[in-house]
Amino acid sequence: MQEELFVSGRDLPNIDPYLSVWHWPISVDLFFGGLAAGLLFFAALFYLLGKEKEMPAAVKLGPIVAPIGITIALICLFYDLTHKLYFWKLYLTFRIESPMSFGSWVLLFITPISFLWVFSYLREIFPSINFNNRLLISIESFAINKRRIMAILLIPLSISLGIYTGILLSAFNARPLWNNAILGPLFLTSGLTTASAIVVYLAKTTIELKLFNKILLGLLITQLFLMTHMILGYFAGSEVQLEALKLITGGEFTFLFFGVVIILGLIVPSIFIVFKIYNYKIPLIIPVLLILLGGLAFRFVMVDAGQLTRYLY
Amino acid sequence: MVIDTLKCVGCSDCVVACQTENDVPIGYCRDWITETVNGEYPNVELELKSERCNHCENAPCVRCCPTGASHKIEGGIVLVTYNDCIGCGACIESCPYDARFQHPDGYIDKCTFCHHRLEKGQQPACVDVCPTKCMYFGDLDNPYSVVSKLLKTRNYKLLAPEAGTKPHVYYLI
Repeated sequence: MQEELFVSGRDLPNIDPYLSVWHWPISVDLFFGGLAAGLLFFAALFYLLGKEKEMPAAVKLGPIVAPIGITIALICLFYDLTHKLYFWKLYLTFRIESPMSFGSWVLLFITPISFLWVFSYLREIFPSINFNNRLLISIESFAINKRRIMAILLIPLSISLGIYTGILLSAFNARPLWNNAILGPLFLTSGLTTASAIVVYLAKTTIELKLFNKILLGLLITQLFLMTHMILGYFAGSEVQLEALKLITGGEFTFLFFGVVIILGLIVPSIFIVFKIYNYKIPLIIPVLLILLGGLAFRFVMVDAGQLTRYLY
Repeated sequence: MVIDTLKCVGCSDCVVACQTENDVPIGYCRDWITETVNGEYPNVELELKSERCNHCENAPCVRCCPTGASHKIEGGIVLVTYNDCIGCGACIESCPYDARFQHPDGYIDKCTFCHHRLEKGQQPACVDVCPTKCMYFGDLDNPYSVVSKLLKTRNYKLLAPEAGTKPHVYYLI
């Protein structure tokens, strides 16, 4: 038996009695970052495959959510900084070892491209919009001419952004729940899943709806597979990881993880999508909302529970 | 830094000295005392020790800092340049010892081994003030320094060595 107490009183705000430095804006940031990454990835991919007309929701409509999501993510990130006036120092250096530095540079490049991408399709989507400004017209024609270059850039940038949201956490080996290499691919898959859900909801053509239903189902199953691997990784881990695992298997995050993330966010929508693939009439809004809820809940579980885990000494 | 857990009485003088020397805001601290009881009555063992930033050789806080505000200077001391810090908290999350905290002014703060005193040839405030002289500070690269000799002759332990950080605060046991 070992019992430890702070004789002097440590009393460090946000650290004692348990670490809580990253609050809800970080979870929201990771969710919208992943969603935007997924939407931009599908937009660029189907554009480069020449499916612009067959996949209007993926290439034109869905990406509207991306710059909005990135903006929300950036506002959340900025809000959670405690030395805000110095945020520009992020862009005076590039530190390859720091996932946060890597992510902030990715965001710097992907944000304007996401706005330009949407801008290039704006009048096509909303024909009633009329630019009376020469500058706006020249920006629009520039964006339309550069769609291919933007798409080529968006593929690596969106994958980097999606995977960064997971690597940001997994790079911290001080937090045993985060120190799992599968978090990168898992967060990327989760981002792609939420993005496909949006595309499925916005799908205008039957071909697009059928294809994205299959993509969505594939991603949901992949995510379940990766989640299983994540849990197995903790089971096979050291004592600190076994302790961390208790938070989601019997601890205070059990309902949120198994109830909301796994059952409501992955299993139930998978069943709905299978029915949809076999042409049963189901309201698409239900699985879509459940997938988005599950994606958001997953970020909250990982960010909040991860901060409760630590090395034992 | 070497701390003799057999001599430490947990008086917290080091904590108060640090707070005074470094103008640490009220309610915060850069070092602290822990009391660990091992075993079950009547076979119990009490260990008191003064803890702080371990100025790790493989410092995760330095590695994850996005601006380079957390950095290592010659000699291995890990410092934070306040005007480069954006207060993202990544270093706090990365520290297995929870040795860092958000200063009320927004930047991240922690033990500096009283670097400003070392530059003047003085010892860190905590070492200077310790009434039982249980703390030793010196150059581990010098085989004749007090700290090197102590580590050669005494048994010691590190905090969470399994974290792979190679901490530089040694506890004599």
